[in-house]
Amino acid sequence: MGEVLDHVRQPQEIARPAVVSFRDVTKTYNAGTAAAFTAIEGVTFVVEDLPDKGEFVAILGSSGCGKSTILRLIAGLEPQHPATSGEVLVLGQPVRGPGADRGMVFQDYTSFDHRTVLENVTFGLECQGVPRKERFELGRQWIEKMGLNVASDQDKFPHELSGGMRQRVAIARTLILHPRIILMDEPFGALDPNTRCNMQNLLVKLWKEVQATVFFITHSIEEAVFLGDRVYLMGNSPGTILEELKIEPPDRPAQEMLAVPRFLETVHYIRDKITQLEVKAPMTKHQ
Amino acid sequence: MPDSASKSAPSPPPARTISRSWLGEWFTLRKEGPLWESVALGAGCVLLLFAAWWLLTRGEPAEKRLIGPLTLPSPRETLDPRNDLWPPPGADLTQWKPDHKRFWSERKDLAINTLVTLRRVGLGFLLAIAIGVPLGIVAGCYPRFNSFLMPVVIFGRNIPLAAVLPLLLFLFQYGEQRKIMFIFVACVAFVIADTAQAIRDVATRYVDTAYTLGANGWQTVIKVLVPLAMPAVFSSFRVLFGLAFGYIMLAESMKESDDLGGLGFQINTFQRRGPREFIYLIILIIPLVALAVDQVLFWVQRQLFPHVYGGPGWLNKLVRLSLHGWDDLKRVFFQIGPAEPAAKSTKEGGTEGRSEGETKQDLTPSLPPSVPPSK
Repeated sequence: MGEVLDHVRQPQEIARPAVVSFRDVTKTYNAGTAAAFTAIEGVTFVVEDLPDKGEFVAILGSSGCGKSTILRLIAGLEPQHPATSGEVLVLGQPVRGPGADRGMVFQDYTSFDHRTVLENVTFGLECQGVPRKERFELGRQWIEKMGLNVASDQDKFPHELSGGMRQRVAIARTLILHPRIILMDEPFGALDPNTRCNMQNLLVKLWKEVQATVFFITHSIEEAVFLGDRVYLMGNSPGTILEELKIEPPDRPAQEMLAVPRFLETVHYIRDKITQLEVKAPMTKHQ
Repeated sequence: MPDSASKSAPSPPPARTISRSWLGEWFTLRKEGPLWESVALGAGCVLLLFAAWWLLTRGEPAEKRLIGPLTLPSPRETLDPRNDLWPPPGADLTQWKPDHKRFWSERKDLAINTLVTLRRVGLGFLLAIAIGVPLGIVAGCYPRFNSFLMPVVIFGRNIPLAAVLPLLLFLFQYGEQRKIMFIFVACVAFVIADTAQAIRDVATRYVDTAYTLGANGWQTVIKVLVPLAMPAVFSSFRVLFGLAFGYIMLAESMKESDDLGGLGFQINTFQRRGPREFIYLIILIIPLVALAVDQVLFWVQRQLFPHVYGGPGWLNKLVRLSLHGWDDLKRVFFQIGPAEPAAKSTKEGGTEGRSEGETKQDLTPSLPPSVPPSK
């Protein structure tokens, strides 16, 4: 069900300003010292701006291959931002720093512990100066959309919630701002498999509603194939994008997709690819 | 015990569980007992100390005592050195008369002096908080300010306070002011350092999250860093208050003309003029006052930070309520226009649309109606 493109698409192939484009981006920490470490090198890719519709881009790769670096470069977060060389463009403009147009959901729970669920969800609106009544009303609607109980959960503190509920809150407070780009750094990494499946279904549903371009980092191939319209396979040390796959959108819930042969075919293809890369990886290291 | 053993024939297991439940419970790592047990154990320690005191200082002719009355008076002598309420042992009861008036006036003096001391510590400490916390927040948020403040903080934390005492004598004329400033000087460096550290200890991921939700630097400080650091800052206040209480004794030992007194001053007076038993009485009062103050601070802490300590968090509700009120009133007073969109690129006009479209069914006024991705 996936289609392997013959190459990773380059920025010049796209006419409209792309949602995100990387041009030969390299990030080296402690450049010029003995501790110099190159996280990503020469990364070039482009994600089109499709009218009225965002794409779901899954980024797959082993630990430490620079997946998070790419995400944080898009978000404009230090110390990854700015890139050592190359250009990171969002809608044709170079990234200057973080902003609400590029929402991010982290793997670690980052709910603000001193704020209730409702205050967490409406944090971004509060920063924009939306009056309290309006933002709370909107916040309650989003709490409900995330499958939480408004009456019983809105005044809870994050420590009273389970991991899955916390991530729901984290996703709600990002989506409520309708960002053009949503960056998700292994958001379901710490959840148990069942919760994870439910969250995937919820995410697909909500993503269709908000029409944003999603960048989704994951270790799970199934998750990448289920959620992604496009999958980037990354290689190790220093990180580069090796392959781009186009995937058909899922037509059924995550639990059932696991029984679809074409889905499994794609998963196996990627798994083989990653195994090959891991065999090759040590050699590239010693070159 | 023998009963239960005879009833159930093979009964070593219950016997073992009994001995385990007693000794085993006590020596189980990190195992807490019920509340009454904790209180009873604490009270037991105090009682034991008093019993030891009583034993060491008992005996009729003073020469028979294990420790002489000049070194350590007996508990009774400490509580009532002038025999105002209780007759001395072996006194002629026909001659002895209680003197309630003198007893209570002396106790009133002690109470007033305690309050005087508390007021000085409290004011000095509040001043240290009022100046130290903002500086600490700035130092914690912006490393360059931290580098700038560092020398002063290191100096303030390491200078022996007794050495600064004569300096304060020149700087501040009025005695009361001098003592309050002494507490301020003693605490402010610690307050700055602890606050800065608490701010630095807040994980970076919270700052990143705030930024990606559109908060600017100032909003991140006020809405994220400071509230998340406050529980740790408050904990350090409790430790520092104990420190301040220690320093005030030093400051009060200075002879002052205004002579409001204070516990430290009283200790000095009693040492010179007697009754020396009162020194022991003051030493008993100090931990009680410190305990009371600490409990009050702890209560405030629990009520302020229910997300850390659980519980109803009444003060937290109060703060939250007043912040909400301020949030609503701000709009009335300053005539703030419709929200400014923080998102730069794709959302021009989006937020405006939201504040109008508000709470109705339409949640995504700025975006086209949802079209399922057709592929």
